[in-house]
Amino acid sequence: MSKYLVRRVLQLIVVSFVISVLAFLLVHLLPGDPSTIILGPNNTAANRATLLEQLGLNDPLWQQYLTWLGAVFHGNLGTSYLNHESVTHILATGAPVDLELIIISQTIAFSVAVPLALLVSRRPNRPLDNVATTSTFGMLALPPFVVAPILVAIFAVGLGWFPATGYVPFTQNPATNIHDMILPSVAITAGSIAVYFRLLRSDLISTLQQDFITMARSKGLSGRRIMWRHAFRPSSFSLLAAAGINIGALIAGTFVVELLFAIPGIGYSLVLAVNQRDYLVVQGIALVVAIAYVTIQFIIDFIFTIVDPRVVRE
Amino acid sequence: MPDDRELLDTGASAQLLGDRFPGMAAMDEHVVAMQSEKLDSDDVLLKRPFGFLFWFALVWIAIVFLAAIFANLLPLQNPNFQNYSALSQGPSSAHLLGTDDLGRDLLARLIFGARVSLIVGFFGVGIGLIVGGTAGLISGYKGGRLDVALNAGSFIILAFPAIVAVIAIVTFWGQSLVHITIILGVATIPLMFRVIRASSLSFAQRDFVVAAKTMGATDTRIVLREIFPNVIPVTVTFSLITVAGIIVIEGTLAFLGLSVNLPTPSWGNLINEGTANNALSTDPYIMLWPAMSMFLLLWSINLIGDRLRQRFDIREGLL
Amino acid sequence: MTKSNDMSRRTFLSRGAVAGGAVVLAGAAGSALAGCSSDSTSSSTTAASGSKPGVGTGTPAQGGSLTVGNMADIDGFYPPNNHFDTNGYNIALTIYDTLCGVAADGSTQPNLCESITPNSTFDGWTMKLRSGIKFNDGSDLTAAVIVANYQALNASLLTGQALTQIASVTATDSMTVQYKLTAPNPGFPNGLTTQVGMVFGQAMIDAVKGGNARPTPVGTGPFIFESWQPNDHFTATRNPSYWRKGLPYLDKITFKPIPDTVQREATLKTGGVDMLVSTDPLTIKRFSDKPDYQVVDTLTGVIGEPSVAFIMLNTVVPPTDDIRIRQALAKGLDQATVQKIFGAGYGEPLDGIFLPDSPYYKKTSYPTFDPAGAKKLVAQYKAEHGTPKLELITITDPRLAQVVQIIQQMWNQVGFEVTISQIQQANLVSNFVSGKFQAATSYQFGNVTPDLNYVWWSTTTAKPVGQIALNFARNVDPIIEENMLTARHTADTATRTKAYQTVNEQLAKDLPYLWLQQYLFSAVAVSRVQNFANPTLPSGAPAYAFNEGIFSSTAIWLSK
Repeated sequence: MSKYLVRRVLQLIVVSFVISVLAFLLVHLLPGDPSTIILGPNNTAANRATLLEQLGLNDPLWQQYLTWLGAVFHGNLGTSYLNHESVTHILATGAPVDLELIIISQTIAFSVAVPLALLVSRRPNRPLDNVATTSTFGMLALPPFVVAPILVAIFAVGLGWFPATGYVPFTQNPATNIHDMILPSVAITAGSIAVYFRLLRSDLISTLQQDFITMARSKGLSGRRIMWRHAFRPSSFSLLAAAGINIGALIAGTFVVELLFAIPGIGYSLVLAVNQRDYLVVQGIALVVAIAYVTIQFIIDFIFTIVDPRVVRE
Repeated sequence: MPDDRELLDTGASAQLLGDRFPGMAAMDEHVVAMQSEKLDSDDVLLKRPFGFLFWFALVWIAIVFLAAIFANLLPLQNPNFQNYSALSQGPSSAHLLGTDDLGRDLLARLIFGARVSLIVGFFGVGIGLIVGGTAGLISGYKGGRLDVALNAGSFIILAFPAIVAVIAIVTFWGQSLVHITIILGVATIPLMFRVIRASSLSFAQRDFVVAAKTMGATDTRIVLREIFPNVIPVTVTFSLITVAGIIVIEGTLAFLGLSVNLPTPSWGNLINEGTANNALSTDPYIMLWPAMSMFLLLWSINLIGDRLRQRFDIREGLL
Repeated sequence: MTKSNDMSRRTFLSRGAVAGGAVVLAGAAGSALAGCSSDSTSSSTTAASGSKPGVGTGTPAQGGSLTVGNMADIDGFYPPNNHFDTNGYNIALTIYDTLCGVAADGSTQPNLCESITPNSTFDGWTMKLRSGIKFNDGSDLTAAVIVANYQALNASLLTGQALTQIASVTATDSMTVQYKLTAPNPGFPNGLTTQVGMVFGQAMIDAVKGGNARPTPVGTGPFIFESWQPNDHFTATRNPSYWRKGLPYLDKITFKPIPDTVQREATLKTGGVDMLVSTDPLTIKRFSDKPDYQVVDTLTGVIGEPSVAFIMLNTVVPPTDDIRIRQALAKGLDQATVQKIFGAGYGEPLDGIFLPDSPYYKKTSYPTFDPAGAKKLVAQYKAEHGTPKLELITITDPRLAQVVQIIQQMWNQVGFEVTISQIQQANLVSNFVSGKFQAATSYQFGNVTPDLNYVWWSTTTAKPVGQIALNFARNVDPIIEENMLTARHTADTATRTKAYQTVNEQLAKDLPYLWLQQYLFSAVAVSRVQNFANPTLPSGAPAYAFNEGIFSSTAIWLSK
C-alpha cells in the first residue's frame, strides 16, 4: 500500500514538473511580451528594454524558469505584471469559486443522471428510456455559452428568481452564495449529465443481463435491492472514472461561464493572463491546476482501491 | 486512473462480485467465459428488428453527410453572401430557414456548415483513433515500461489546461479548418488512448489470449486477431460520443474566436452567431437550426451505435 | 480628457462591448500637456433641471448606495503605474481629484487647484492650491505633494512620456507650484485634466518606494477607497471631509466589471446594478424607448473630437502602401451599411475626425462610397501587381465580427481578396506597435483637443516595420507634423483652427484610417439614479458631462 502511495506521489511530482515546463515554454514562446500592454502609449524601445530588464525577462529562458521554480519552492508564485496581485492570492480567491461551481454542478449532474439511469436501465428502449436518452443528447448539443443566456433570459430577467451575474463569497453570505451560483452551475452541468447518464445506463443494462442477476432474482431479492446493491455498485466504476476525467476538464475549463456570469474564478484569470502575457500568473495557475487534477485522479483511484483491493496492481 | 481491468470491462464486475458471494465463483467463471464469445442466442431480450427510430436516424445521417459532401451541387444560395436588405428575416419563400444578422441565407449556411463540423468531428476523432487508439491497443496488451511511459504522457496532456494550449497554438499557427481539426484531434488522443488501452488490457488477461500465446502466436497476431476485434465495440461507442463532443467544443472555440476563419460557417459558429448580440431574444431561430441539426445528428449517431451493438454483441461495453 | 483606453489590458475581454474592441490608445499621457483650452463645440447637458436623462430633478437627497456595471476592471490605483481607460477613469475619479477639469464650454478650468496662470510666453505656469484640503489619511495637500507627484509620474516608465514638455516643477511656497515648460504651450492645463493630473498622497509614493506595488489609495476625492477584489468589485465610501462642501450625496459607490454586454444589460434589468456603461450602439437602441431608464450617450455633447471607429491601414507594407489601394479601399467601403448594422443606425458618415458641430470641422476630400471608382483603381493595381490580397485583423468580439465580415464582402466585391483573422488583443496591439499588419479594426482619437493625438500622427513616432512605433499606420506626413506643432504652440484660435483643418484634410488624402463611424459610449441608469450626467466644477460652472464614457460620481444622488 505504501509502495502504491509512493508511486502515486512520484507520479504527481513528475506530471507537475513536466506541466510547469510546458506551460512556461508555451506562454514564453507566444509572440509579444507584457511590455506592450504595460507600457501602452509609452512604448518606446528604451522603455521596453528597461521594463523587460526590471521584470527579469531578458534572462535566458532556462534561467527564468529556474528562478521561478526556485521561488515556487519557497512558496512564492510571483505576482501579476499588470495589477501586481500575488498569484497565490489569485488562486486563493479564485479556486474556491471554481470548486464550488464544480461541486454544485456535479451534484446536480449525479442527482439527475444516477436515478434516471437506474430508472431506465431496467427497461431499455422503452418510451421512458427514449425520452431520457433524447433529452440528454439535447443537453449535450447545447454548450454552456448557449445555455447560459437562455437560463438568464428565462430565470433571471424573465422570472427574477436568480441574478444575471455576480458572486457573493461563501464566507460573506452562504445562502446568497449558493443561490447565485445555481445558474452558472446549471450552465456547465448539461454535458456532464449526458455523459454520466449514458455511461451508467450502458453499464447497468449490461450488468443486468448477467446471470448473477438472474440468480439474485431467483433468490427472491427485490428489484430495488438488486439494482442498488448488485447492479449499481459494479457499474459505478466507470462512472467514477468518467467523473474523474470530467472534473479534471472542468478545472480551469469554466472560463466561459465565469466570463458570462462575471464570476472571479481562475479560469477567467488564466485566459486573461495568457492574453496579456502575464507569464507568472499563467505558470502559477497551470501548475496548481495540474496538481489539483492529478490529486483528484489520485483520490478517485484511491476510492477504487478501497472498493476493490485487487485494483492495486502495478 | 484505475488502469486495470475494472475500468471498462463490465465482465470484471461480475468477477468482483464473485468474490463477495462465495459459491458464485464458479458461476462467475462461466459467465465471463461466455461473455468472451459472441452468443447471439443469449441475446433474447434485445434481439428485435431495428425499428423505425433506427431507420429514421440512418436516413438523417445519410442526409447530413450527402448534403455536406455535395453542397456545391445543390441549388443553394451563396452561404456567405450578405444581403443588407434582408437582415434577420424569418423563414420565407426566398429563404427557407430565414436569414441571419448579416442577411445571409441560413439554409445554405447550415449545409455548408455541416461540412466543417463533420470534418472537424470525424477527422479529429480519426486522428485520435489512429494515434491514441493504436497506442492504447498495443500499450494495454504489452504493458511494461512502454505502458507506464505512454500512460504518464497521456496523463500529462490531460492535466494541462486545454484552453491555454488552444489559445497558444491558434496564436502561433492561425485559424483554419485544418489547424482546428488537428488541434482537436490531438486533444482526443489521450482520451482514445486511455479508453482503448483499458479495454485492451482487460482482454489481454483473458484465457483465450493466454491460450493463443502459449500456442506460439506472435504479438502482432494476437493484437490484431484476438484483441482488436474485441476492442471494436467500445471503441466505436466512445468514438461516436467523442465526435459529438468535438463538434460541440468547436462551438466554444468559435465563441472565443479560436475556430475557423470568418465567414466560414460551421454549426458551432452558427450557434455562436445565433446567441451573440442578444440574437437569442430577438431572432432565436438563427440558433435553432444548427442546434437542432447538431442534436439530431448526435442522437442519430448514438442510436445507430446503440442498436448495432445490441444486435451484434452481447456486451454493451462502456457507452 | 485623455484616457488610454485599450492599451489597457482589461477591456479586450469585454464581449459585445467592443470596449477592448479596437486599440483605444487615446492620446493618453502621450505628448499631452499641450493643446489649448477652448476647443469645445457644443454645450453639453448643462441644463439644471427638466426631465433630461442624467440631469437630476428635485432636491438632492443624501445617502444611498450606487452600483455601476463597468465594462472591465481597473488595474491598480497608483497613477504612475497604470493606464486608465474609461473604466479606470470612472473608478479612479471616485477617489482622486484632477488638478484641472473640463468645463461644459470646452475650456479647461481649475478643479483641485485654485488657479493656474501662465506667464506672458506661456512657458511658465503658476498654480495656486486651495488651502485646507486634506487627503483621506489626514495629510495636507501642499505644493510639496504636487512636486512629489510629478517626480513619481516622471520617473515612471508608463507615464514619463506625458511629461516631457515639463522642464521643472517646483514648490515656490507651501501652496504654490511653479511649472516650467520646455517650450511655450498655451494649452498646458489640458494635460492636468487627465490621469497625470490626478493627485495622490505622499503615503502612496512612500509605500511604492518601500516595495509595495499595491499601495492603499490615498486621495482627495469624494469617496474613500474601501475594497477591491479584482474582477469582482470595487467599493468606495463617502468622504465626510470632502473639500467640496455638501458633496458627495452618495454614501457608497460600487463598480462591478461585467465583460459581456448582454449580460451587463441583463444585470441592469434584474437590479444587480443601478447603472451601466457600454460601448455597444445596440445598448442605446435597446434602452432608448424604455421609460424606466435614462440613457446618456455621446451622440451629442462631445467636446473636441469623439472616439472614432476606423480601419487602420499600414501605409508602408504592400498592398496598402500604394495610395491607389487605400483609395480603392475607402471608395469600396459603404459607411452607411456599416452604421446600419454595427451602429444600429446611430451615427453619421464621417469624413474626418471632427463632427459637423465642431469648430474645426470643414468638409474634407475623404472619398465617398464609389464602388465603380474603386474597381477601376483595383484593376489598375492588378495589371501591375496581380490581385491585391489583404488580411483584415480584429479581436474576438461579436460586434466587430459583424463589421469585418461586412467590410470583407464590400472589398471583395470591388476586386480585393480579403481574409479575416481574429486574434487576441495583446497580439493586435503588439502587431500595431511593430507594424505587422495590413488592415485592422481600431478605435481612437477621442480627446478634448486634437493636440493630444500628436503621438499617433507624428512623423517622429513613425518607425520602420519591426521597430516600436506609436504612429501605427506609419504615415509619415510632414504637413501633418508641421501643423500639429503649429497648433500646439499658437495662442491664436484662427491659426489653430486652420492648422487642424489641414491635418484633417491630410488624413483624408493620406488615408491611413478609413473612418467607419463615431465610436459611441453610453450610460444607462434606472430612474432613481439622479444627476449622473450633470456635474459642476468647484466654481459652480457646469462641467463636461459625459466624456467618452467617463461620468462624475460626485453629484449623483438617489431619489426615493
